[in-house]
Amino acid sequence: MTKRLLGFRDRAAVAGVGYTAFSKDSEVSTLTLACEAVLAALDDAGLEPGDVDGLATHRVGDSAPPSLVGPALGLRPPSWYLDQFGGGSVSHSVVGQAALAVASGVAETVVCYRAINARSEFRMGGTGRPLPASPEVQYQAPYGYVAPPQMYAMYARAHMTKYGTKAEHFGQLAVTQRANATKNPRALMRTPITLDDYLGSRWIAEPFRLLDCCLETDGACALVVTTAERARDLRRPPVLISAAAWGGGHSHLSSGSGDVTVTSAAELAPRLYGMAGAGPRDIDVAQIYDCFTYSVIVQLEDYGFCAKGEGGPYVAEGHTALGGRLPVNTHGGFLSEGYVHGINHIAEAVSQLRGDAGDRQTPGAEVALSTAQPGYVLAATSALILRKG
Amino acid sequence: MSERSERISGRGLIRPIPDRDSAAWWARTARHEFVLQGCDACGTLRFPARVYCHACRSRDWSWRPVEPTGTIESWIVTHQPFTPGAATPYVVVMVRLTAAPDCVMYGNWYRDREPHPGEPVQASFTYVDEELSLINWRPGSE
Repeated sequence: MTKRLLGFRDRAAVAGVGYTAFSKDSEVSTLTLACEAVLAALDDAGLEPGDVDGLATHRVGDSAPPSLVGPALGLRPPSWYLDQFGGGSVSHSVVGQAALAVASGVAETVVCYRAINARSEFRMGGTGRPLPASPEVQYQAPYGYVAPPQMYAMYARAHMTKYGTKAEHFGQLAVTQRANATKNPRALMRTPITLDDYLGSRWIAEPFRLLDCCLETDGACALVVTTAERARDLRRPPVLISAAAWGGGHSHLSSGSGDVTVTSAAELAPRLYGMAGAGPRDIDVAQIYDCFTYSVIVQLEDYGFCAKGEGGPYVAEGHTALGGRLPVNTHGGFLSEGYVHGINHIAEAVSQLRGDAGDRQTPGAEVALSTAQPGYVLAATSALILRKG
Repeated sequence: MSERSERISGRGLIRPIPDRDSAAWWARTARHEFVLQGCDACGTLRFPARVYCHACRSRDWSWRPVEPTGTIESWIVTHQPFTPGAATPYVVVMVRLTAAPDCVMYGNWYRDREPHPGEPVQASFTYVDEELSLINWRPGSE
């Protein structure tokens, strides 16, 4: 296995990053958002639309597919494209699959994007939208159990029960990430908060309060993925894709539900680290999927940064803050920057490795981890390890 | 065994949409039978309903009446009205089944107190109409 995986390591790179503004109401279509982010990423890379021969996205029936975005921008017919069904859990697999396409030679320049009006049109929180067509919904929806914050709250409670994880641990994570967002002009929420603000915020689904939950956001983000060789000749410092892994885990409703305090990341992490030839101690900065506070705490454990059950204290001791042992979600994360379903974590990892993250820069960052929704909602997950080129 | 639910009278019920694998399970639940699928080849119990045994891949199975009990794996108290007409707050429990410890079921909990972690619970059937009853959970000591 290792030999083939080594053949993939560092063969592809992220050469460009593009954003739209983040807001509660973009007032434009997801097609427009996608086009704007794709063009911004190409401009960042110093490439032209005519250079693109692949497009990749993921969606849950809520956004513009490559078959619309390509013609809308007058791109040539793609050599390769990906229109992946799925939410945050597949966000990092989109970039991983683009890297595979580039490393294999099937495509040379792929733009990955995610474009959503997740506040003004299709609310991620579940309010008012049709229920997803999952066979497991029938066993949950009749009980009023329909939205991701409820599902994560259920698992968070189990973790609190088993390991003594506390509300204050969740709160410290929210406070820390907000402090990071104050240094990010792109962030939607830039007013500092205190632990008392957290504890005083209203209940959503106990044990979660409002400030445990990410921001339903309108916006788009795009990344240019090309060969490492080509990226070295482009405008910006290349960031190499050292490892990309996806898969792992079972739905927690299916037969086989074991310990609900362990996520799919625990299965995926050894494969990811093996592919990169790196381990948790080599990671300088991490962007960890924070749909909710708890999802960071459990992944700190499952990606091996602390012992199982120690994620809460790890955060409370300040290790994830800027300047800490492992700065996490340096842009403020989905809790405070905005939620583009995963891709903005990868974009921030790229910024940290380029060294252009300004006041929130992790000094000397050379290796970054970026992770997807760890599989609680639909089983599988995905993640990337990126390296300064 | 049946109990009327204030949740069902108090807020909009989202009816389950059975699929071809699960329709017979819902029909039995409507008759207030607490059943799981059991593999006729290897005996493994499974839930939710599906044709293949995940342990031995046999397609031979039958409904097995099992003890309608479990333990509280976790629970939440929902305050945000995620569904139209929701009467909040309400409690949703995740129950690990005694008969099949690798299977969980969900349900509502209607007691004045919250459940305890690991608390033994028993199923109760909440009648909605002739075609639908829901499994909910109450303390095992009642």
